[in-house]
Amino acid sequence: MNELPNKGLLPEGLRDVLPPDAAFEAEVTSGLMACFAGHGYERVKPPLIEFEKSLLSGVGEATARDTFRLMDPVSQHMMGVRPDMTVQVARIAATRLSQAPRPLRLCYAGQVLRARGNQIQPERQLGQAGAELIGSPAAAADVEVVRLAVEALDGVGIEEITVDLNMPTLIAALMDDLELDEAAADALRAALDRKDAAAVAAAGGEAAEILQHLLGVAGPADNALAAIENLALPAGAARERDALLETARLIAGELSDIRLTVDPVETRGFEYHCGVTFTLFARSERGELGWGGRYTVDRGDGGKDVAEPATGFTLFMGAVMGALPGPQPANRVYLPFGTPPATTAGLRGEGWVVVGGLEEVADICTEAQRMNCPYVLQDDDVVAVDKLS
Amino acid sequence: MADNGQDDGLIMALPKGRILKEVMPLLRGAGIEPEPAFEDPESRQLRFATNHPNLSIIRVRAFDAATFVAFGAAQLGVVGNDVLMEFDYPDIYSPLDLGIGRCRMVVAEPKEVADDDNPERWSHIRVATKYPQITRRHFAGRGVQAECIKLNGAMELAPALGLCRRIVDLVSSGETLKANGLVEVEQIADITSRLAVNRTALKTRSEEINGWVESFREVADAA
Repeated sequence: MNELPNKGLLPEGLRDVLPPDAAFEAEVTSGLMACFAGHGYERVKPPLIEFEKSLLSGVGEATARDTFRLMDPVSQHMMGVRPDMTVQVARIAATRLSQAPRPLRLCYAGQVLRARGNQIQPERQLGQAGAELIGSPAAAADVEVVRLAVEALDGVGIEEITVDLNMPTLIAALMDDLELDEAAADALRAALDRKDAAAVAAAGGEAAEILQHLLGVAGPADNALAAIENLALPAGAARERDALLETARLIAGELSDIRLTVDPVETRGFEYHCGVTFTLFARSERGELGWGGRYTVDRGDGGKDVAEPATGFTLFMGAVMGALPGPQPANRVYLPFGTPPATTAGLRGEGWVVVGGLEEVADICTEAQRMNCPYVLQDDDVVAVDKLS
Repeated sequence: MADNGQDDGLIMALPKGRILKEVMPLLRGAGIEPEPAFEDPESRQLRFATNHPNLSIIRVRAFDAATFVAFGAAQLGVVGNDVLMEFDYPDIYSPLDLGIGRCRMVVAEPKEVADDDNPERWSHIRVATKYPQITRRHFAGRGVQAECIKLNGAMELAPALGLCRRIVDLVSSGETLKANGLVEVEQIADITSRLAVNRTALKTRSEEINGWVESFREVADAA
């Protein structure tokens, strides 16, 4: 009665990754991780599922809507499948590694699950790779993580990277200054996320005027930073602006070799951030490759310093793979049945991918092509199949 | 290479029909002249070159213009905020109100229903509309579950033929409602067409895209 129409059918938003893409994604992920490791970021591996309470507290709050939940039959507590790994790394830093020397540099890669996809991105299982730098309030830490994200993406072959710097706390400070009520602030934030100029104008008053200016300044970093500096803002927002500008300028100065834009009204995805944040784009991919920025880790150990400054970023493997041209074809060589193990080992040592025949065949060239091998081993020499036929 | 749109060209998605007539003066004002086939009603072409080698135009249904921009298949487009509200695509920015295609989205019902109806008592209503998401959201906001019957046109027929008693539709003069014995009972939103921009395109090609937004802003402000 409940039979599936076809056993190949997967639930919405989930898919099989086949050769050669699966190997390519693993290769790119390890390329990114090698770059993080090379900068002193040590890998952690949190579990796939944990208690909902720790998964959704603090920086995890924003992901509550996206979390798959299930009941732990052992403890009878609710558990969640991680929708994001940053929150797990923050938990590790606040608990098991709370005594480790600061600044603490950690990195991670793994799969996450979201309860639902959206129209633009229907995938529910996503690969993430990221790095977190915990325990330093210095602007140099912000610069380090942006630089690391760009270096890692560049290292795996992503071209035309754009870093978009954002200032979600500027908008928050501005909303406070203008003493907007919750509903009005939410409506404005939604309008800003869509850069809906008409809706911002419709809000009227002082808020509309300032926000319209802010909408207009988004663009290449040099102009945008100058424009933001010259904006007339209420006191609280102006203080926030000055602090953000200092960090943004430092990042811009250090990253003069890449495309840098500034968008002060972008707040999506940054619900838990508290300083300069950034979004990574590549021209060849419609989704963002990743995002990151300043946040606070809740130590929650009852001690005096309950909050710890942190910064870091998460890369989305789906988008990263989308921005790359496909994998290079592997150097596969077909070995006729009976090839001695020593020969095989020799070829492996030279970097060949060997595909061994399991029985005698009439024509090894045809068999090699059928097995997707452009080369065959003939009389102890590796020969291109198309040279033989 | 320049105008094939796959690599470097920009694509602008324009809606077919009524709005297109109002878009043309803005387009020309911004210095964009489409190839002659664009205005030839006999032409079966879907994609058109312009006097800018880097910019081509596609002509699609109003709802599809938003979809092309949302997925980055077109970087720019003209889209009504009715469509933007219905889809609520996170990847479309609408930085400029073009001030054209002005109309209103309203709830309407037959006059005799309106006369003895108390909306306070509703828990569930049935509505014919082209905008099921907006309709559901609107009524959910006041605690009413709206069951939507999706129609693609001629909404005004639905109450007369007993499909449902209410419709949510766009009106400009209100003549069509009147001719079908319907009265407007509530306005949901003011509608105009917006210049829509794909989010990633704005980030990765900000100079080009901002340039076009500014050109259109000058024309729209002058109008």
